[in-house]
Amino acid sequence: MNNDRISCKQNTHKTDLSLEIAGIAMKNPVMVASGTFGFGREYSEFIDINNLGAIVTKGLTFLPKEGNPPPRTYETPGGMLNSVGLENPGVENFIKKEMPYLNSLSIPVIVNIDGDTVNEYYKIAKRLDNVKNISALEINISCPNVKQGGMAFGQDPQNAYEVVKAVKEGTNLPIIVKLSPNVTKVEKIAEAAVSAGADAISLINTLLGMAIDIYEKKPVFYRTFAGLSGPAVKPVALRMVWQVYDAVDVPIIGMGGIFTWQDAIEFILAGASAVAVGTANFVEPQAPEKIVAGIEHYLKEQFEENIRLNDIIGLAHKANID
Amino acid sequence: MAKLRFFADIVMNREIAMDIFHMKLYCPMAAKLAIPGQFLHMRCSDTLSPLLRRPISIANADERDGTLDIIYRVVGEGTRLLSAKKTGESIDIMGPLGNGYPIDQKVNRIAIIGGGIGTCPLMFLAKKLATKNSKSGNLVKHSVFLGFKTAKQSFGIEFFQSLGYDVHISTDDGSLGFKGFPTDLIQDYIFDVIYACGPKPLLAIMQAYAVRHNIMSFVSLEERMACGIGACLGCAVKMKSDGYKKVCKDGPVFELSKVIF
Ligand SMILES: Cc1cc2nc3c(=O)[nH]c(=O)nc-3n(C[C@H](O)[C@H](O)[C@H](O)COP(=O)(O)O)c2cc1C
Ligand code: FES
Repeated sequence: MNNDRISCKQNTHKTDLSLEIAGIAMKNPVMVASGTFGFGREYSEFIDINNLGAIVTKGLTFLPKEGNPPPRTYETPGGMLNSVGLENPGVENFIKKEMPYLNSLSIPVIVNIDGDTVNEYYKIAKRLDNVKNISALEINISCPNVKQGGMAFGQDPQNAYEVVKAVKEGTNLPIIVKLSPNVTKVEKIAEAAVSAGADAISLINTLLGMAIDIYEKKPVFYRTFAGLSGPAVKPVALRMVWQVYDAVDVPIIGMGGIFTWQDAIEFILAGASAVAVGTANFVEPQAPEKIVAGIEHYLKEQFEENIRLNDIIGLAHKANID
Repeated sequence: MAKLRFFADIVMNREIAMDIFHMKLYCPMAAKLAIPGQFLHMRCSDTLSPLLRRPISIANADERDGTLDIIYRVVGEGTRLLSAKKTGESIDIMGPLGNGYPIDQKVNRIAIIGGGIGTCPLMFLAKKLATKNSKSGNLVKHSVFLGFKTAKQSFGIEFFQSLGYDVHISTDDGSLGFKGFPTDLIQDYIFDVIYACGPKPLLAIMQAYAVRHNIMSFVSLEERMACGIGACLGCAVKMKSDGYKKVCKDGPVFELSKVIF
């Protein structure tokens, strides 16, 4: 691992949480999910961001995007709907205004990218290719909150293949492909992404849902449908991580409703090499840090000394053969 | 430990008007930092229901005794759980968050106008303005216009009076003061600066009034929030130019003339 200061603290423990995903060296497997952590700075008043395994930034499009009209969020039992609509400053402003802060961090920076067209994905990837201190790109082919593109690319294996292929042509950075749960066979999309060169798969993005204002007698959201996240989606996310683990050999970043270390362990046992914390950040900014501590404790308690995180990834599948 | 996240002790929590509760928190650090217009992002439950925090305006902060006051209306599950909290319990808060009302203007005639629960941040503001006034030996009488649904839901009136403000009251049903809206009352006066908070229809009328008379005005907006700190982009409000702004981070206080209602 690289010689950052923070990891010295962790090295005093026996349990090793460090790992490498798609060439990204992380000191622990807990990242934050795109769109829930801004560009990092916002949370610096609440946690030590360098304690994270990696940071994933808000979805970027080539040009600035205004986003959807309010309301953009709506609480549901055990979860929330969002319809942010990918509001973001565009790739140039990102490089100018957000990269300086991200450069100051000692952890890997993963940039989530989005496009209306295959060519837009290509252009962003190419523009980010030689930007210093970006560790990987996460291709969002699963945003449910935009008119074009987004999720449409993640619902058809051929479309997914083409986007990933185009991004691969635009950059030498490692590529993580973020999948939508709004499909019948998620493993088919994963296979297509891997055959196009994906270095890792992340899932799930939000589940398509909606809410109706019974007094206004109309949908709450301008775009009618919105994305469901939070604890309510966890069982679905876990099932999909399980299926993708069976289908492809690249590392998986699992997310969807992770609030506690127990949730994170479930994802790891289902086949995730790393996990991302999303909605939980809003409720408990220290959730990622607590999850790191919990995973470490769990490994110590449940396994022999010198156990590595790697040894338990997908472990539950072994028990399932009969 | 994180800077703006605390477990505050509840010193008091009681109903002061119909469905309106006053909670006093002991949290010296937050009390010291707070300025009028800012809010606390409060966890109402230790469980996952309700899931998200609730943004609540700071109604007062006292640096000397380390306390903060919030006044909230019970409108849903989150605030109902808040109202059930007991003295001695502690509560998980993030804050103070957001910007605040600018109060450095050198002006003579100030109007404070609030509707319903929107009165809360204005109480803190009124106190700060009064302190500033007494320090500068400035004896002008500022005006406060408050509107409530009905007398039973009114609160804070004596607070403003005790600070020496000229207080005008209206209620929707006429059970207290003028029958109508506070915006009806303010039309007879002219001010140099207006501070407002309340329901959107009231703010829209205030905006028209302020624009017509070219009065500098500031408004504190309320919007549903998820993160409360500018990370999720969930609390957008459209501006006349400049696209969307985040109520939690760019606000909650904005120049009234710039907001689209
Ligand atoms: C407010 C909000 C904004 C999001 N924005 C993005 C985004 O820009 N790009 C993306 O790939 N995923 C986005 N997501 C999806 C999350 O990264 C994550 O996949 C999803 O919320 C499930 O995880 P969770 O239940 O832990 O939140 C967003 C989610 C939320 C709640
Ligand atoms: S509530 Fe998340 S940006 Fe304002």
